[in-house]
Amino acid sequence: MTWSQSMARRIGTMLVVLAVGGAVVHGQAPADLETKEEQAFKAAAVNVAPSVVRIQTVGGLDRVGRTLTGTGATTGLVVSADGFVISSAFNFISKPASVLVTLADGRRFPAKIVANDRARMLTLLKIAADGLSTVSPVPRKNFRVGQWAIALGRTYDSPLPNLSVGILSALDRVWGRAVQTDAKISPANYGGPLVDIQGRVIGVLVPLSQRQSGQTAGVEWYDSGIGFAIPMVDILSTLPRLKTGEDLLPGLMGITLKRGDVYAVAAVIDRVRFNSPAEKSGMKPGDVIASIDGREISRLVQVRNALGNKYAGETIKVVVRRGDKKVDQQIQLVGKLEPYAPAYLGILPRRRLVGDKTVGVTVRGILPESPASQAKLLPGDRVVRVDGTAVADVAGLLDIISRHRIGETVKVQVERREARQTLTATLSGIPPTVPAIIESAIIAAPEPKPANLPGTGRISEDLAGHNHNFWAYVPETYNPAHGYGLVVWIHPGGDTMEADIHDLWKPICEERGLILVGPRAKKVSGWNLGEAGFVEALVQEMQKRYRIDGRRIVLHSYSDGARFGYHLAFRYRSLFRGVAVSSEPLRLSPPENRPELRLQFFLSCGDKDNLFGLVQKSRARLETMKYPVTLTPVAGDGHNYPPVPVIDAMGRWIDLLDRI
Amino acid sequence: MRVRILVLFGLALLELTGPGAAVAQSIHSTIQRVQSRMVKVFGAGGIRRLHAYSTGFLVSPTGHVATVWSHVLDTDELTVVLADGRRISAKVLGAEPQLDLAVLQLKADGLELPAWNLASDSGDAGPGTRVLGFSNMFKVATGDEKVSVLHGVVATKAPLATRRGSFETAYEGTAFIVDAVTNNPGAGGGVLTTRGGRLLGMIGKELRNAETNTWVNYAVPISEIRKPIEEIIAGRYRARQREPEGVDEVARFRPLDFGLVLVPDVLFRTPAFVDRVQPGSAAARAGLQPDDLVLFVNGDLIQSCRVLKQRLGRLEAGGVLKLTVRRGDRLVPAELPVPAKSSTPSGEKSR
Repeated sequence: MTWSQSMARRIGTMLVVLAVGGAVVHGQAPADLETKEEQAFKAAAVNVAPSVVRIQTVGGLDRVGRTLTGTGATTGLVVSADGFVISSAFNFISKPASVLVTLADGRRFPAKIVANDRARMLTLLKIAADGLSTVSPVPRKNFRVGQWAIALGRTYDSPLPNLSVGILSALDRVWGRAVQTDAKISPANYGGPLVDIQGRVIGVLVPLSQRQSGQTAGVEWYDSGIGFAIPMVDILSTLPRLKTGEDLLPGLMGITLKRGDVYAVAAVIDRVRFNSPAEKSGMKPGDVIASIDGREISRLVQVRNALGNKYAGETIKVVVRRGDKKVDQQIQLVGKLEPYAPAYLGILPRRRLVGDKTVGVTVRGILPESPASQAKLLPGDRVVRVDGTAVADVAGLLDIISRHRIGETVKVQVERREARQTLTATLSGIPPTVPAIIESAIIAAPEPKPANLPGTGRISEDLAGHNHNFWAYVPETYNPAHGYGLVVWIHPGGDTMEADIHDLWKPICEERGLILVGPRAKKVSGWNLGEAGFVEALVQEMQKRYRIDGRRIVLHSYSDGARFGYHLAFRYRSLFRGVAVSSEPLRLSPPENRPELRLQFFLSCGDKDNLFGLVQKSRARLETMKYPVTLTPVAGDGHNYPPVPVIDAMGRWIDLLDRI
Repeated sequence: MRVRILVLFGLALLELTGPGAAVAQSIHSTIQRVQSRMVKVFGAGGIRRLHAYSTGFLVSPTGHVATVWSHVLDTDELTVVLADGRRISAKVLGAEPQLDLAVLQLKADGLELPAWNLASDSGDAGPGTRVLGFSNMFKVATGDEKVSVLHGVVATKAPLATRRGSFETAYEGTAFIVDAVTNNPGAGGGVLTTRGGRLLGMIGKELRNAETNTWVNYAVPISEIRKPIEEIIAGRYRARQREPEGVDEVARFRPLDFGLVLVPDVLFRTPAFVDRVQPGSAAARAGLQPDDLVLFVNGDLIQSCRVLKQRLGRLEAGGVLKLTVRRGDRLVPAELPVPAKSSTPSGEKSR
């Protein structure tokens, strides 16, 4: 070292002192501290770099849902010296034909997908290499919100990993599965490590979302300052299971909890799924969950947090309060539950007029060959009790029946001509056929005609606040004392079919008490999934203007319009109760059938249509999930909008949507 | 007294070390200094969601502005607003579309403006270096308001176009990729500096990475554009020769020229599996077999039959084709001579 260098160094040291003094005065980070931090970021990256690998995939889908799958390189992290590499499941959603791993030293290996962790959205790979450098994890007790967090990826052509610097923003996020960081997390580093300033691994970066699950959930948050990492300590603890090739699924008990503010309400069990671990262990509706694995539960949200980190196959200890007893249960969680199959009595309830406060459910019609017809219920009967429970209204009866299983027997107490009778019915499933005759309940025009009645007849206008327009048909006899069914017509790409649909459906609307509304796609050539919000808003607008019966809101579509139709039905579960699709198969995976969100399907297709086979498969797929489905083939027809008899059947089916 | 000596020593050090001077400077003074050298550029656009503004930086005291080459400059009425709020008309002095670069000349005499000296003010940085981004993104600054400052680190310094078509940009060289969201509407032509105020690069246009379907934040290194800027100012710049149009259409060779028959290309991303190998062909001599999956051609990843055909199409006659195939769980290299000419009649489409 020359004199000037050593002098410079000494002066440098003094300068640090000076700079720190300056910081106190001006409230600024001393420049030298900044430099040291910067060096530490780089050192941390270099420290982990040998374990950060590049992943490339070949072949596979170009689109998953609405997300285009990338074809670029992604990142992985070596988790054991003998060739296991962990990465984000997002990097493999295209189901590639081949996966390649390039190590930090440039060696390339074909990789095998060993297993997936479907709760934490991780994928484990294996390559035929040995002696790889591994990383040291940060113990959970050392996690501190506010500590430096450096996100690494290996997606660019550079010898060093790409990095982004931030801090740990929060711990125990997404039901306890992840830590959160404000470093920029994106496909450029999904699968890579989040490291602390010493180069130890905090976790592995993945897209996650609190609101959704699924393969692409959370990707929309890329580079937003909201990113997630699965703690490395958790990964290492499940690694032995993953190494055996076993996919890890989120653990399910098979209960639903009474709804309410998740942060305020106690966890009261509402339903226990048949044949689920909860049922087998003897849990009952009404039980209040008091603790899970020793963690005290006083609010709904805590249940989710307690279960977020549990996998199928794990056993948990649950204490429930039943009355003033406490009951201990050991429950082995499962990955999959038997689907919910709705039970069916076979009555059509009479729809109430505004102001009708009758207690019970008056029977409008008895469906042929149904449990109700076998039990000899009659039109005009008023159902007042089922199995000793009072029936307040249609919703109440539906709820009671939905808590029964197919094949179970119920005692139905009815009032018939002032007398009470108790009848016994054995519940069945909802039949797949639509009766040839359903007596219509034609609604008469109001007499006298009230002032300021909303518009009737054919309407065409813009939806305020949305850059979209729509058309509608409202029967001229519209009577606001009655609730109307709503048919939302989702037109196919290239043609709104407005005149035809209007002409075909007008008589059915009048016969069955329906209002027809036709949203128009921004570009008539086809629907964009981003237009879903407009359709939702349109339905809400119709509900504001007219008296709409929430049990009979139906999406109707034909040909490729149905792709959007199915999307709407599955996205807005609480809005739509029926889906009537002609000549288009189901290309999405349907959500789980839920008792409180009833959804029924009416499919039709020409038996000479190329798609007919696929439409039949769609029916089978929906039936497997225990949804009520009707398939009406059109003999000798190709790819065409269905003829009048099928539309008539559709009208009857809509009239059946509130059957119980 | 003692403090004063230290200050004196400190000044001496600043003098001595050159670049170190910047390090010792506070971020506050860095920002002030950089902002005084930034300008706002207003020009064409404003329709069809095209913004009519961008950013620029002064590269001479007499009013030369370097900025990004874009539709904004496509007008006779170009206005530049200086950091102090002065509005001055400008004209495009020269441009290098391949570098996304343009140099403007302010139409005013006798200017003495604070400006970057590209030779002495520039620096370099690697992954992890803390940086500042300066630009008039979203036209937030108006009049004499200063341009916006963002902070972040260099994510990496790497080529933007590792593979043709992965980025929709003219610029294909090495770039600073940063972890701050620097590339916004109107940010093009801004600058990336170290926290000490060393000039690193010019912020590029908004850019989507077609491989990951995400937006990329990058800056073109000053080292890449310094010479063109200086030459344009000196009036002796000649734009680079552009590659012939439609270069992607070149199809000089086909798989069959090597004796390879691929599986039918039915999907958008059909993996490049070998269906058959013609007996006695180059592929057969190199030991290729049916069911081999072609993964690399001359080191580049091949993700589908389509990409393999494009890559073979661009081979030069008489060279060597280096393949890596996956056979079972092994990667197997193979070398095939590229014939002098394609044997298939329509081997060459575009010229």
